[in-house]
Amino acid sequence: MFIQLLFGLSALLTVGCAIAVAVTKNIMHSCVFLLGSLLGIAGLYATLGADFVAVTQIMVYVGGVVILMLFAVMLTGGKDFVSRAQNLLGLAPAMGNKWTFSVGLLVGLVVILTNVKLIMNIAKAYPAKVIGNDFPSTVSQIGHLLVKEHVLAFELSSVLLLGALVGAAIIARPRKQG
Amino acid sequence: MNQTIVSYLSQYEFYDSLLCLFGNNEGLLAFVIYLLVALIIIGFSATVGGLGTYAERKISADLQARMGPNRVGPYGLLQFLADGVKMLTKEDIMPFTADKFLFYLAPMLALVGVFATLAVLPWSNGFMMADLNVGIFYLIAISSLVGVSVFLGGYASNSKWSMLGGMRGASQIISYEIPVTLSILAITLLAGGMSFGTILSHQEGTIINWFIFHNPFAFLAFFIYAIGALAETNRAPFDLPEAESELVSGYHTEYTGLRFGFFALAEYIEVFVVCGVGAALFLGGGNLPFNIQIDIIPLQLVQVVIFITKALLLYYVVIWVRWTLPRLRVDQLMSICWKYLTPMAILNLVGCAIWLVVFNGKSMADLVFGSH
Amino acid sequence: MTPAQIDGLMPIVILMGIAVVLFFGGHFLTVLLAPKKPSHLKSTPYECGEEPVGSAWSAFNVRFYVIGLIFIIFDVESVLMFPVAAIFRELVDMGHGGYALIIFLSFISVLLEGIAYCWKKGDLDWVKSFQVSLKNNK
Repeated sequence: MFIQLLFGLSALLTVGCAIAVAVTKNIMHSCVFLLGSLLGIAGLYATLGADFVAVTQIMVYVGGVVILMLFAVMLTGGKDFVSRAQNLLGLAPAMGNKWTFSVGLLVGLVVILTNVKLIMNIAKAYPAKVIGNDFPSTVSQIGHLLVKEHVLAFELSSVLLLGALVGAAIIARPRKQG
Repeated sequence: MNQTIVSYLSQYEFYDSLLCLFGNNEGLLAFVIYLLVALIIIGFSATVGGLGTYAERKISADLQARMGPNRVGPYGLLQFLADGVKMLTKEDIMPFTADKFLFYLAPMLALVGVFATLAVLPWSNGFMMADLNVGIFYLIAISSLVGVSVFLGGYASNSKWSMLGGMRGASQIISYEIPVTLSILAITLLAGGMSFGTILSHQEGTIINWFIFHNPFAFLAFFIYAIGALAETNRAPFDLPEAESELVSGYHTEYTGLRFGFFALAEYIEVFVVCGVGAALFLGGGNLPFNIQIDIIPLQLVQVVIFITKALLLYYVVIWVRWTLPRLRVDQLMSICWKYLTPMAILNLVGCAIWLVVFNGKSMADLVFGSH
Repeated sequence: MTPAQIDGLMPIVILMGIAVVLFFGGHFLTVLLAPKKPSHLKSTPYECGEEPVGSAWSAFNVRFYVIGLIFIIFDVESVLMFPVAAIFRELVDMGHGGYALIIFLSFISVLLEGIAYCWKKGDLDWVKSFQVSLKNNK
């Protein structure tokens, strides 16, 4: 009962906020709706029983990426985003003319239908079942996998993050003008 | 493992009769119990937050040889209620240049973020609302909502003071999250788990089993945590986001009435939560400094009292520090975080890991007294 | 996590719900109790009694963004370290302490290297010396 409720709430939050992100014309409001959407996704992970992933979602996206986006918007002053006249019925933001929207819609539909078809086939072939394991919690399972099977990925990820850190530092350094 | 208040109560006979009352619907009964406990905890935390404002003024008055609030109720104890009523009846003013939607949303985000942290606070080893496997990690993650709300509160007001305060607040909160997270990682390493149940069960017994006395690195980690926590809750000497001598009141300059009250409430509850987490992680939580082994409800109540006492002692230190130390400059603040606390926290983590391997998980006391 | 454990998430949702209800309830009470006499001067943003000049929403210094970027990287590193730290003790008890220590230390040393680089190059300084940064960029 609670799982259904949590799923419903999270799905509503995710989809509702995602639509709001696309529809709203104020870029600051978009960022805040994105926060709601990401929180909803964390709720969806929680309904799947992936507690560690859910909290990681909150920690990295809500606590980090959204704040970074807000800072990035503030680099430009954070004023209202002036939308161009050519938007769809005054609802969607201006990302092109009628043709872009219709072609985009068509492509989106085709992609979604193909994916649904594919996933349905896979789901039929492998019916859902709970895979038993010996681990007391998802955390210890992830830990054991990181230390044993995927130890190379674990170590390489630190090198990747080092690269990101150095890149971030270099990009942000003040430079000579012109 | 994974003790919650419901699973704790279900050991006793009256749980079964309650279950009959709810037509054997366990989910509904759990919901009702959680709702009641949540209301009690929020009522208690709000009182602690309110008394926190009173204690703040009274202790500062003591430190400065003044009287402090002494008119409302005995010793001015009911001052916070009077303040609450006053805030409720104040006119609700919003700057006409403000971003209305975000101006409304910011205090709500702060409240949601702080209340959500209360769910995993370990009042004792039986009375926990939710003992998640990712307990402490969840607490760090969800409290970052407060950082977002500080920034949004500053942005939405569209006042220069608020904007500066909001920017400073958000950058300070995220910066100091790093040393705090790293020192909590050291405790995760020692406890072998992230749930508060695991962390508390490792600190049972006498005072020497508390993690602060586990090894020298854990001792240092406590102080890194304490400094970082002060900065994360925007307390002096790190109260730059609301520095009254330079920024008027920082990110809540434009907030009036109840919305300001919500910001203040969230801030004071957050200080209590941070103190509680410090008590649980390093100072043994609800465990007595000496050894008793009885499992009855009164012992749980004793544990709750001990936990709250420890948290309030830390709360006192927080207020004491505020009225003793001068405020830092922004550049000093950032260099303390990134150049001193963060490398120190990382080295601490390394030290804890090496200690665990070299001494095979034994604590200092085990080595000295040769127990286990 | 089993469905029974997911029920343990109930208090979080309840507490968040209470926060939202409290916010709107308090707001409703304010609407009932508080006086309403709006005026233009009352609702001007506070600028020490002067007429406010311009909007507060102006471009901010890039240093906040840099702090945000560095924060995210450390955040992700700590997220990766948490599960390993949680089973570290278990590994020590099983007798794989040395192996676990090597993995953990090599991960952290890369992290330390990153912070040492940023410190050396002056990216952690709040007040950046323009000359120094120019020299480094050559």
